[in-house]
Amino acid sequence: MTEIRFYGEGLAGFTREKPLPGRLIVLEGTDGVGRSTQIALLREWAESKGYAVQSTGLKRSALAGKGIKKAMRGHTLGHLTTNLFYATDMVDRLEKIIIPALRAGFVVLTDRYIYSIVARAMVRGVDPAWIRDVFGFALVPDAVLYLHADLPRLIPRVLNARGFDYWESGMDFLPFRDYYEAFVEYQTRLLAQFEAMVEEYEFHRIDATGSIREVFQDLTVEIERVLADMRPVPPQEAEKELAEAKAETKVGKRHPKTENEVTQG
Amino acid sequence: MAQLPDGRALPGKLLIVEGIDGSGKSTQLDLLNKWLIGQGYCVAFSEWNSSPLVKATTKLGKKKQMLTPTSFSLIHAADLADRMERQMLPALKAGAIVLADRYIYTAFGRDVARGVSPTWVRKVYAFAVKPTVAFYFRVPLEESLKRILGGRPKLKYYEAGMDIGLSDDPYESFTLFQSRILEEYKKMVDEFGLTVIDATLPLVKQQEIVRQIITPLLPGALRAEPSAWREVLAEESVYGRYLDEVLPGRSTP
Repeated sequence: MTEIRFYGEGLAGFTREKPLPGRLIVLEGTDGVGRSTQIALLREWAESKGYAVQSTGLKRSALAGKGIKKAMRGHTLGHLTTNLFYATDMVDRLEKIIIPALRAGFVVLTDRYIYSIVARAMVRGVDPAWIRDVFGFALVPDAVLYLHADLPRLIPRVLNARGFDYWESGMDFLPFRDYYEAFVEYQTRLLAQFEAMVEEYEFHRIDATGSIREVFQDLTVEIERVLADMRPVPPQEAEKELAEAKAETKVGKRHPKTENEVTQG
Repeated sequence: MAQLPDGRALPGKLLIVEGIDGSGKSTQLDLLNKWLIGQGYCVAFSEWNSSPLVKATTKLGKKKQMLTPTSFSLIHAADLADRMERQMLPALKAGAIVLADRYIYTAFGRDVARGVSPTWVRKVYAFAVKPTVAFYFRVPLEESLKRILGGRPKLKYYEAGMDIGLSDDPYESFTLFQSRILEEYKKMVDEFGLTVIDATLPLVKQQEIVRQIITPLLPGALRAEPSAWREVLAEESVYGRYLDEVLPGRSTP
């Protein structure tokens, strides 16, 4: 990482430090564009090149991942709550997974980042300034690779994978009773939001209409560019450093006397 | 009048209470709640940290000590957002009186005491409705400590501010943390025009002051008919023995 930059005010307790040795690479794009497949391939590819790789994605935090999924099942989550819940998930992964891994020299691949959350919020009419303020704690990544495909290509992929989902079809706010119509309308609006963000967030556009192999090759070219000035930290070394850092924060933050609850004095 | 963040007025009234632990604010709000219901008003009550969709996550984070100042701040914001979207805002739009035990000022006080940026946390809560009256129950630190620590209670990790490492001793940590929060409240009195109530006065006197302040605001607030069934019982000579099954709140008019 060349320098530590945040989109807004940054993170409480995050002291300015020397550049993090790792690299943060984001894969963005709408539903069905093939992000998770590519991350699985890229992870193996980077590991074979000698890098330590950490992968993460939305709703995978130990703190809020389960809570969001459970809350979404009920279909009653409001727009503001959803965004703040996702922000909690994001900051937990940033502080507990992403930043420690970057410090230890990992290449961190993330399936979506704040941009998907911002796009979904914008489509739902959430105040654009507010959502950007909330995510002001997010670290600016080394690269945002934006996988792009048009809707006619996305539809069969989504249908093959898992069918139309309530939230991915915008059923929470669109005036349709039909999932297909809703999906088309919602994803069209999302694509427009992503387009509008290309410049603001310096997306690197990757054409995702080709075969998986073609897309993979395009991605590796870009990632090689990002990794060009990085000395690979051997996975064992990086893992060791990460474990040591975790042990240190535990000692520093937890007082042995107050492991769970403080008992009567 | 309660106001949306963009300045539009809402027909309902939002009355909130603030103060450090041991200030007696919850007791005062409880008394107010009962009085308003007794006066025939439609009242919705919302407690800090009580969203059915969010609170399990907060609980997990506290129990496992996973929360950092920023995630602590965001999960509490999510909790208020859910209560705002599904409970408080609809009630305010309908013209009801909404009572909130702790509000955004609690977050501003605690989060800033934990080192979160004061400007950022205010932006995060920009969605919150501006209260009609925000009562701040002001109590000297020594008095609140006496009330809280007098019984030598078990202090929880985050409650005592142990997460920011002010002291290894929970009681000392709690004291330091509360004094930081008190400093923040001091600043917020002018910043947000909080209505200060002297929380060292007798309970009854405090309640009297609170009622005096809100009484002029009440005309026009939505009324409920909590005891409409009484009339039926009287007129139709039935006992209402099965009403408990459908009116759980019956015994508290």
